[in-house]
Amino acid sequence: MPEEYLYHYLPNGIRLIFMPIKKFKTISMGLFLHQELTPEVAAANALLPAVLEQGSRLYPDYLTLQRELENLYGAELDTDIIKSGERHILAFTLEMAHNRYLGENDRLLRKGMSVLGSVVSDPLVIDGSFREDYVAQEKTQLIKDIKALLNDKAAYALERCLALMCAEERFGINKLGRVEDYRSIGADRLYSYYQDLFLHNPIDLYVIGDLEEEEVVSAAGDLFNFTHNVEGKALPETEIMQQVSEVKLSEEAMTVNQGKLVLGFRTYTGYQDELYCSLLVYNGVLGGFPHSKLFMKVREEAGLAYYINTRLERHKGLMVMTAGINYADYQKVRKIIDRQLEDMASGKISDVELDNTRRGLINQLRSQQDSPNQLIAVHLDGSVGGKTYTIEELSAGIDAVGREEVMAAAERVKLDTVYLLRPREGEMENNGCSL
Amino acid sequence: MAVHCNLIENGALQETLYYYRLYPGLDLYVLPKPGYYKKYAIFSTRFGSIDNRFRVETGGEISIVPDGVAHFLEHKLFEDDRGNVFDRFAALGGSANAFTSFTQTAYLFSCTANFEKNFQLLLDFVQEPYFTEQTVQKEQGIIGQEIKMYEDHPHWRVFFNLLEALYREHPVRNDIAGTAESIAMITPELLYRCYNTFYHPSNMALFVVGDLTPDDVSRQVEANLAGRDYQPMGSIVRIYPQEPAEITRDRTVQELVVSEPIFFLGFKDMVVEKLAGRDLMRREILMELVLDIMFGTSEALYNDLYRDDLIDINFGAEYTAENNYAYTMIGGETKEPEQLYQRIMETVLKAKKEGITSEQFERHRRKILGGYIRRFNSLEVIANNFLAYRFRDTDLFELPSILHEIRREEAIALIEENFEPARHAVSLILPQADG
Repeated sequence: MPEEYLYHYLPNGIRLIFMPIKKFKTISMGLFLHQELTPEVAAANALLPAVLEQGSRLYPDYLTLQRELENLYGAELDTDIIKSGERHILAFTLEMAHNRYLGENDRLLRKGMSVLGSVVSDPLVIDGSFREDYVAQEKTQLIKDIKALLNDKAAYALERCLALMCAEERFGINKLGRVEDYRSIGADRLYSYYQDLFLHNPIDLYVIGDLEEEEVVSAAGDLFNFTHNVEGKALPETEIMQQVSEVKLSEEAMTVNQGKLVLGFRTYTGYQDELYCSLLVYNGVLGGFPHSKLFMKVREEAGLAYYINTRLERHKGLMVMTAGINYADYQKVRKIIDRQLEDMASGKISDVELDNTRRGLINQLRSQQDSPNQLIAVHLDGSVGGKTYTIEELSAGIDAVGREEVMAAAERVKLDTVYLLRPREGEMENNGCSL
Repeated sequence: MAVHCNLIENGALQETLYYYRLYPGLDLYVLPKPGYYKKYAIFSTRFGSIDNRFRVETGGEISIVPDGVAHFLEHKLFEDDRGNVFDRFAALGGSANAFTSFTQTAYLFSCTANFEKNFQLLLDFVQEPYFTEQTVQKEQGIIGQEIKMYEDHPHWRVFFNLLEALYREHPVRNDIAGTAESIAMITPELLYRCYNTFYHPSNMALFVVGDLTPDDVSRQVEANLAGRDYQPMGSIVRIYPQEPAEITRDRTVQELVVSEPIFFLGFKDMVVEKLAGRDLMRREILMELVLDIMFGTSEALYNDLYRDDLIDINFGAEYTAENNYAYTMIGGETKEPEQLYQRIMETVLKAKKEGITSEQFERHRRKILGGYIRRFNSLEVIANNFLAYRFRDTDLFELPSILHEIRREEAIALIEENFEPARHAVSLILPQADG
């Protein structure tokens, strides 16, 4: 029996999604505010959760807030900014051990929810502004985070490829925004932006745990009772039809040992598309698993990479392929990759590959039900994509995908951008070749 | 043969663990988790990167093997004369993986269907080695890429550079995957020799978790082992060099392409070799508590450093204790490593002088208990943690009772004992002028 989602609307219009699940040892909750992804407000969206986490009216500094959480048996409060398609989502989550396992009779739900509610809706405000020093400090930290992307070469290469590929689209902006945008954000302006966002934008509140429905609804109603416009603002959909006129090529030299290859593809297939499940299988056969063509051919047969895989950005309709390779092997690797893409398009896919991929995808779907965070993420995907699939629908959809359907998905797939991070000349172990 | 089963009840967690000892000496643990879709099994041998000198009692010759053999063997078990094991798991809808640490090599899978067949496959492939010249040679290319990937990873480098600085002789100072040179010396014969020593069931353990019937699992394992004609094996003697109290060097610096310096400070713990089992676990819990009080997010130092822009949220401290080595590491990314160093050392001195309060002690004890309970949501975390503890003769399920026993005086004594200035070293990654 798949887990069920129970829906309620709080008096102020916030949607509460409650999942009564006995098997978890935790109470998990998360509040997610949906905003459009635009260059103008990306930095402010990223800054807001970080500033709110620094302190609220009741817990006016980070140390006080952390001590309160420790007294709740080390409850973990996290804030984040999520880029999902061309949606920007401000995330506030709290996970705590369930009181049943603590020898504690007191219901912890209300206490935990009160801390989350305080951080989200009852901030520390002085003369109509957030605290200047908190804002300044979090700007510094986020600018450091943007620059620190460089420290993880695989993540850096992926981000560079997507930025190049979507340079003309909203999706091309970094989820933390641009460094220069932080300078002009004042503490007072950020506070007005906060008020506006929480008044107008859609908000989902998730609660998962072995709890009574009534108790959850009543606590949420009491602790998230801020003013919120019930009508809600409609957010623009993610644009997925950007055409490819010619493949963009970009090579960047850096003092590194391993080359990082990233290929960005457009699939022209979105979350609601009738070929959505076909695309999932396409991606799985090509590069989503250790049994996939790329892993088998590039790693297991040719021994040219330790990792090579593909993954989807489901809302934007993108597929990215990433691999760590010797720069000198680029042409060799590329030839194998191109061959696999051709085989996908021409339907050179064995029954075993199809079977294994369908089973693997269904295994992933079922496994998601064993983690509170994944249950939330899956449902949130539905909110962003404008369509909530049940696990049965998706499983049936995946099961129905055959070779023809995979070929139909493959026909739409177009290479858009090739990005290669390579070692500097003279630092390579042997002569490199160019793209 | 009659199978003995012991039930290990844990009151705090409300879980019951089933333990079986099967001929010729395999430990099997089964934890039923009703309501979970996923089933997870991990089959692990006490053979890690530090086990590079050993003999079998009695009378066996001493073998000295190149660095990286345990990890290499892990890769190679996934292949046999019929091809790749990943493919066979995929056909059953299972998702398989493996990892090698300093002290163990583990093979694992999760599935939501066909548990028995997946489990059979795990038992079979781990017990049926197949190494040839040709497959060994191919793997040298793949692992060569894995090593290069880690060479470009600054957080991996800062960690191993620090271990090298702290340890003069102990093999924990060497990379788990070895080096390009050391893996070039690996042959099929060498892999078989290691396999025949360390993959005897008496050196291994199995942990299975999910919505399962324990006796069914044990019967399956017993039948599998029965067909393999195992003879009892003498115990393995691992030979570790005598590690002096002195460190190798007090400072190690490497330049890499990073946005900011990365600073790690380490203390080598020499007492640990005299501790085992419950005492070792007690020390570990006490150190976790002490470090959280000195460096955690709810105390003064962290908040002061954060406000002064000397750290980011990834700053932290950790204590690791195995049977024959242990160390503390503190650090993160910082723009001013020297200043950060001074501030940490001042805090150590201050903690030695002022100790910790009972309010701090109780609050952090609560936090550890809550964090422990939260870990029991994840099947993978439970199983992996359990075996890691088991291999150092400790028991994950004892944590709540030890946590209940510890006293503030012990924690204070540990501060004095475990931050010995003569045994500390600094590891730095500095930004490389790129170009």
